[in-house]
This record gives sequence, C-alpha cells and structure tokens, in this order.
Amino acid sequence: MKQEFDKTDCFTMNGKLALPYTYFAGRVGSTFITTIRDQKKIMGVRCDKCSKVFIPPRQTCEKCFSDIRENWVDLQNTGVVTNFTVVRYDGKHLPRKAPFVLALVKLDGADTPFVHILEGIEPEKVEVGMRVEAVFAKETTNTILDIDHFAPVKERVQVIERPTSPEKPGKAALSKDEMERLERRKAMSNKVIITAALSGAATMKNQNPNVPYTPQDFAEEAAKCFKAGAAMVHVHAREDGGMATHEHARIKTTHDAIKDKTPELIVNLSSAVGMGKTAEQRISQIVHVKPEMASLNTNTMNFSIVERKSGKIFLDYVFENTFTMLQDFGKAMEENGVKPEIECYDMGGLDNTLIIMNQGFFTTPMNFNFVWGVAGGQAFRPDAFIAMKNALPPHANFTTCGVGTDEFPCITLSCMLGGHMRVGLEDNIRTPKGDLAKGSFELVEWAVRIAEIFGRVPATPDEAREIMGLRKR
Amino acid sequence: MGKRVAICAVSQIKMDSDYWYMRFQNMLLPCLESIVEQTGVTFDLEKGIRDIITNSDDVFDARTISNNGVTDVVGAHFRGEEKMAQEGINGLGYAMASILSGHDDVILFMGHCKESQTENRLMNTNLAFDPFYTRPLGLDFLNASAFQAREYMKKSGVTDEHLAKVVVRSRKNAKKNPNAIESKQVTLKEVMKSPLLADPIRQLHQWPVTDWAFGMLLCCEERAKEFTDNPVWLTGFGNCMDSFFLGDKDLTSNFSLKKASERAYKMAGIKDPKRDFDVVELKDLFAYQLPMWAEGVGIVDENKGGEWIDGDGPDKQNVNLSGGMLSGSPLLLGGVARTIECVLQLRGEAGKRQVKGAKRAIAQGTYGAAGQHQAVVILEK
Repeated sequence: MKQEFDKTDCFTMNGKLALPYTYFAGRVGSTFITTIRDQKKIMGVRCDKCSKVFIPPRQTCEKCFSDIRENWVDLQNTGVVTNFTVVRYDGKHLPRKAPFVLALVKLDGADTPFVHILEGIEPEKVEVGMRVEAVFAKETTNTILDIDHFAPVKERVQVIERPTSPEKPGKAALSKDEMERLERRKAMSNKVIITAALSGAATMKNQNPNVPYTPQDFAEEAAKCFKAGAAMVHVHAREDGGMATHEHARIKTTHDAIKDKTPELIVNLSSAVGMGKTAEQRISQIVHVKPEMASLNTNTMNFSIVERKSGKIFLDYVFENTFTMLQDFGKAMEENGVKPEIECYDMGGLDNTLIIMNQGFFTTPMNFNFVWGVAGGQAFRPDAFIAMKNALPPHANFTTCGVGTDEFPCITLSCMLGGHMRVGLEDNIRTPKGDLAKGSFELVEWAVRIAEIFGRVPATPDEAREIMGLRKR
Repeated sequence: MGKRVAICAVSQIKMDSDYWYMRFQNMLLPCLESIVEQTGVTFDLEKGIRDIITNSDDVFDARTISNNGVTDVVGAHFRGEEKMAQEGINGLGYAMASILSGHDDVILFMGHCKESQTENRLMNTNLAFDPFYTRPLGLDFLNASAFQAREYMKKSGVTDEHLAKVVVRSRKNAKKNPNAIESKQVTLKEVMKSPLLADPIRQLHQWPVTDWAFGMLLCCEERAKEFTDNPVWLTGFGNCMDSFFLGDKDLTSNFSLKKASERAYKMAGIKDPKRDFDVVELKDLFAYQLPMWAEGVGIVDENKGGEWIDGDGPDKQNVNLSGGMLSGSPLLLGGVARTIECVLQLRGEAGKRQVKGAKRAIAQGTYGAAGQHQAVVILEK
C-alpha cells in the first residue's frame, strides 16, 4: 500500500497524562505492608496443602485455591540472591538512576523469591547465591519500598531482640523440606525418644559399680540400653581410673566402641566433658569425633555438690557457658553436622537460646533438654516445666532429665506433655524402688513402663533421627 | 473440529519507527480500504460485516477506551464492536470462537499501536505490574525479561554470540521484507559491543520502537469463496497464562507456551511440531526469546537452544524469515504481525522470502512480563 503523506504544517501537542491515585492494598496486602512499616518484619503466607510459603502474600493459593489469608509466617530479613539484572537505562518509572541492580531475593523461610533493589555493592560484583539483608526505609512509602533496598549481609556477631514472645510462639518460617519433615514428625507423635545418660562426669563406681569407664564398658552398657528401648545414649568418656576426659583419642574410641557394637544407636556426646575443662577442650573433641548429637549448654551457673538437707557445700564450681560459647559451640556443631541438644537448667538458659537463635544458625527442629535438680539450677516443679515448654520456639522438641529423685517425676510429666525422656546413671543411680540400678538399662526399662502407661511407644533410633532432624548417615 | 475458519484477506501498513504525522485513524483507513478492495466485502447488515474486533491499548494511546477513537474508521456504527486490549493474537482466538459458535459468519479484525509517541514505552509496560509490590520497583518488560534471559541462557547453553547471530540474521532477513522496519545491517561484533540495557540483554537484542496497523477479514468455511479464491485456514488456537509474580514461576519452564501449543496442536491435529510446519513465526521481543520460544512450541528439543542456533536451525525450519519481532512490530501487535506473515507465506505472497509450497504454519504471540501470557495459532493452506 502506498503511504504518501504531506508532512508540512503537521502539528503535534504534548500530553501530560498523570493520574495520581490511591490504591487500597487489600487486607492481606495491608497487613504485609504495615508490618514492614511498623515492625521492620517481613511476612509471607503459607499454603499448608502445598507446603509453600509465598511472598508477596496473597489471599488464595494459586496452585490449590486454598484460602491462606490467615496463614502468616514470619520470614527472616535475610535471604539469598537467586537472579539479578543491572538496569543500565533511565526512566521515570524506575526507582533509581542507572545503573542499579534489581535482584530476585529468596528470604530465609520463604519458598518463592521476590524482586527488590540491591545496593551496597558494585553491580559487577553481584553474584547469584550471595547473602543479602533488608535495609528498611526511614520513612514509610506505604509500598514495598518500606524495605528501602537489600544489601549484602555483613559478617557480624550481635545479639538482637527475638521476634516472637515466649508466651505466644509464632509460626517459624520453614522450607518445603523442613515442612515435609515436620509432617512426618507429626505422624510420629506417639513415639517417645528415650535417652540413656550412661555415665556423666561425676557418678563414680563407688556410688554405683555399674557406671562404665572403659570403651568396652560403654559399648556393653549402651547395647543393653538399646535392647531395653533407648534410641540414644549420652556419653562423657572416662579414663580407666574413672576421671572424665577431654582426650580426643579416648573419646573417639569410646564413641566408636558403642557404634561398633550397636550401629543403630545415636551417640550424643557431652560438650561439658567435666569440671575444669577449657572452652577449646570442650568443643574441639566434638568437632574431632563429629557425633550425631552433642549437648550444648546455655548458661553460666553454679554446678556444685551441696547436701540438700543440711545445706552443706561439698564442692563449689562455676560451670561457665557464656553467650559467646553458646554461639561458637552451637555454630561449630551445626557446621559439622552435629545436632545440638540444648541443655536448659532454668528459664534463663532457654531465654539465652531464644536470643542467640536469632542469628539463624540453628537448624530446625531445635531439640531442648530441661535439666532439673542440679545444685545451682532449679529443682523440678511441674509449673516451671510447663512454663518452659510454653516458651519453646516453634517446632522444637523437648526431653528432660532430673538429678536423683527428680528423675522419674520429670520424665513422667514430659511423657504426659508429649516430650521425650532421659534416664541413666549420670543423673540417678537408683530405681524408683530405691535399689541401686543394675545399669542405665534398668532405668530405661522403667522409662518404657511409664511410656506404656501413657500409650506411647519408644522410638527406634531412626524414628528419633526423623523426629529430631538429625542428618541421614 | 469439523468446521474451519478462513482468513480471506490481510492488510497492513509498512512498519515505521515514528509515524508522528499520522493519527492512528490514518493508519487504519488504508488497511480497511485494502480489505474491501481485496474481498469486495460490504457493511450490508444482511450479508456483510456486522461484527468487528479491534485491537488497541489505552496506555499506548494515552486515552481511555482507545477503541472509541476508531469506531467510525472501522465501520462499527450500529454494529457489534469488541476490543482486544491484550496481545492481538488473542483477537484471532476470539474471532474464531465467534464464527465457530455461529455468533456471526464474517468478522473484521483491525488493530493499531504507536510505540513512538510515549516518552518511554517501557514506562507503559511498568503499568502492567501491580501497584504495591512490583511497580514501585520499576519492573518493566525489559528488566523482567533480563531475569528470564539469564536463567534461560544458562539452561540452554545460549551465549552472547548466539544472541548476536539471532540479531544479525533478523536484519538480514528483514531486507527481503518490505513491511519490516528499515534498519541497517549489523555484524556479530557490533551486536556484541552494543551497550547492555539490563544484563544480559543488550540494546541491539531488543525489538525496535514500531508504529503499525493491520486489517484482516475472517469468515466461516461455507462463505469463504464469496471473498477470496485463496483462503488460509485457521485450524488451531491455544493460549495460557502463567503466574503473575516472577518469583512464583519457573522462569525457564515455558509453562504457558507449552500449554498454549498443546491446546492448539490438539485442535489442529499436529503430531510432530518439528516436521509439521513449513513456516514458523515467533515473537522474539528480545533475541534470547527466539530459541526459547522455539523450545516452547516444540520445534527444538528442550535445553538445545544454543545448539539449534549453531546448527542453523532457524534457517532449516524457516523460522522468522520475515525478520521477526526484532525487525519490527509494536509490542501489542506482535502475534498478529507473525500471523499475517504466515498468511502471506501460505498464500504464496511472501515475495523474496517465499517458502515454496508452504502448507502449514505456526505463529506465536506473548504478552506480560517474561512470557507470562502465551498464545499460538495454526494456519493451513
């Protein structure tokens, strides 16, 4: 077709269309934006059916059409860059002058990445996989720009306020894998994990001749406990003479002897070891042996021998567990595939953990042990137990142990409340009848009876691994 | 599918980068006149055009109800007039549904778009994003596509050099297409040295600013001979929409294009897309999209986009002999432009780029961020 036009005297005029407008963000959008604005907290919504956490949030799951508007989950303000582009052109619709980086950021706890601005780094240095964190706007924009931008995470150690109050634990944001694991755990809710604490650092043969010292002793005692129903043993290795040791070789030999005789068992090593050990001695052996699990202590406290009735002090000792140790030990364990068993001797220890966990290095689920009756810690009281249980972070497991006569009352309550149980000569040398126990295995047999009363079944080691989130070996 | 829909005539004006001196009514009028001239169709309420589909966009026309301005020029007074405000290829699906359902026998389909007059056409595409989560971040069809380009290139072994080849080839082919935008020939080196716009997309990887208008007459099988001796049959149509948020979807899965193709192939009885088409026209807004959409419609194996370009696959399979989107068409009308090119090929009217004996063709159109919406049509001689 011919297109011949006379262009002389053609007049053009400039339109200046602008359309200031107020958009209602919707109820879901309003919650999302105002939470970022007021609490500096980013939330997503979770579809339980699809096990997927969406951000930006929406009212309905696009996959299964479930109504998910109430399923808020807290996401971390940190995440990982999954994709990016460098915008090198200018335009009035763009929030920054060119060049600037737009990135897809997958927040920790979310399953879908979302777009945001990335600053604080040369565009040429941006990489897929880098860790970034949200930097919040000083003044609200009532849009997604209340997160002003993301910036690379700075390496740092700092204590920050925890996001959820202990009275009302929020739902922690979980990845798809973690959610699936959670579902499997739920299916095992009648399983109870029984741990046998074979020796401790302080129980000696003169108190109960069945306390193991040699690797051979430990292996035999552990096998009996397994047969009786224990899924895990907790171990402080000893020298032949009975002293608790931090020697790597001896600890590894003890650990291996148990595993050789009963490969199924979970071995949980102590990172307390015994009195007078340095922080380095306490953690280096864990890193060396890499057991499946290890104890992680949460509070500096008196850990003494005091006669209850008379109040007479036999031995005074301060068990040092600073925040730094809690952090460093916890990180070392997680980095080495050792799941921490977090020892709480009172609510303070639990609170310490709730603060440090905000650094984000603890893997889900977290596993707690409430310890009762240490001279320096708190004595067993059911109401204190329940208060601690209620203060746990989301999806956490709990077990319990008690010194001496606290042992059976505390594990009974734990069993009633859906928790797990630890018994053994480390904590208590006698059966409920008052006889010296023939070994930790006899105490395990009593724990099994308690479980039976409440209709719970001892978990196998593999079931215990599933429940506690141990890595597959 | 027992009945077929005929495309009796197509018309267009030459694509241009700046028709500042033409109102869009001026652009449409010669297209309409050409349709009337080719077919002898009238606006008689008994036997002629009673239903018109128009294709335009409020944001690109900077006015509301953009079809309001064309009612008279497309002859829509006292007639049915419906507007497709999305990728024009969907107007073909709509026309097809109107005819096959018996709503009407004859449909006039007209469309226009001027990309040249907006201050920044990417700003227009920014409005396609929601006002809360993505629009304030400046997302537009270019930077959103850049995310997809990065992932796709990694997945399918497509390099910067492959993209340069796509651009060089497009311009070479466009020389044989009198309707394409006039642009100079470029070398691989020039493309690879052109400035990055949004990594990894370069300036020369992007479709040119284009003003264009078209017309098309469709009718039912029984009446086709009243209007033409050389009908092209519209035998398949399919479309599909992927998730809105970029993070919700797998950017390289071609989910919506595969679904759209599946539907169109089923309707048209296509068994093997690698062999069944003599002509393929893909809407490559950006160079990376030529191999990516080729994978999506199934003429190339998954993840083989890079090898396909190396092996001269585009030439062997007659893909974008017109120059494709990289040699012109407004964003809004890209799928229709691809369809019209296929019609010309099947009618034997494609001039120097004619594929001899072309019997069957596929045209594809896409809209939204990073191929969110996809549609394909199957055309047969």
